[in-house]
Amino acid sequence: MPLVTLRHFTEEDIPVRTALLRETRFQANLNDLGVVTSDEALAARQRKSITEEHDIKRLFTICGPGGDIVGFAWITSIDWRSQCCELSFAVLPRYRGAFGAAAVGAAHAHIRAELNMRVVVNQVLEHNTMLVSTEELAERRAVRCPWDSYTLGEWRTACYWTDSEEDVRRSREKSDRRRREIAARIRSGGRT
Amino acid sequence: MTETTAVPAPRAVPADTGPTDGGGPSPTPTPALLTPGEAARALTDAPVRLTRGFLGLDPVTRNTALLARQITDREIRVTRYDRALLGYTVNPLQPRQVMVATTSTDPAPLEALLDFLAVYQRATSFVAEVPDGSPVLTALEGCGFIPGGILRGHLFHTGRYRDVLVLHTDREG
Repeated sequence: MPLVTLRHFTEEDIPVRTALLRETRFQANLNDLGVVTSDEALAARQRKSITEEHDIKRLFTICGPGGDIVGFAWITSIDWRSQCCELSFAVLPRYRGAFGAAAVGAAHAHIRAELNMRVVVNQVLEHNTMLVSTEELAERRAVRCPWDSYTLGEWRTACYWTDSEEDVRRSREKSDRRRREIAARIRSGGRT
Repeated sequence: MTETTAVPAPRAVPADTGPTDGGGPSPTPTPALLTPGEAARALTDAPVRLTRGFLGLDPVTRNTALLARQITDREIRVTRYDRALLGYTVNPLQPRQVMVATTSTDPAPLEALLDFLAVYQRATSFVAEVPDGSPVLTALEGCGFIPGGILRGHLFHTGRYRDVLVLHTDREG
């Protein structure tokens, strides 16, 4: 059984996502819309995404092995013809260490294998190292954009890069190689 | 989301007239016409291997709201018949030709739908499109559908383009 699975975001998930929109790190790392918006307005906005905006914005619920909600992913700036979209994530605070990387992998797999997307645009605010380390961010970014966003009273610098199928393949190989090295080190009792 | 409820229920499929006390033969299932919203939810809840490509719909890549809208826009009717979901949409350019779909591997529910469409829609031509390897192919073959061609790489899912079989049967009356 996979560590995490993706399903369509439903109205029943709205309260959980609304609570996440009000969480401080979410507001610093993505957007602080939740600070100044009522529960009703946030719910209405998400309901509209479900019922009217599925062609231009898709929200997914990320579930753990037992079906519990561990976070959300969403795609925006969808260009169906060019097979390109922007992918965003937010993992619930209590699951951040355990499920972050798996959630990213599951979302990438779904939008490539089922939605036939070829290129995924990533945007990460530079101070946010929850899913991508500072070193990796510096290595992967194609564009560094100062003054990109204003969240919780501060201007934020954003890093942008794209992941093509080739990038994903290389990244998977790198991660597999690292896993094999760690496994070999464990088997050898730490002797290198 | 607007849900249409004004569509008349199919009547040609035999109504439940059998005994229900368990003493006689099992009762004939009563067909129930679903609203677009109900149909979308039913397709979402059914096993994916039976629903992908159901009249061009795909519950894996579309949420229930979008499925319901597509069902409405394309004038698709979905009926629950026992545990099967049956769907049809009339070809607007040829009103006696109907595109049909089933989620059952058993030919009986589909046979009942074809009878209904022949009687009440005066349909004489039935077309189905199913992804290659779909389990519902046995139901279609059991109802006399014959492969007419293959649409190569017509459907993308699970990481690659897949062939779709086009099948056809006639009920000239």
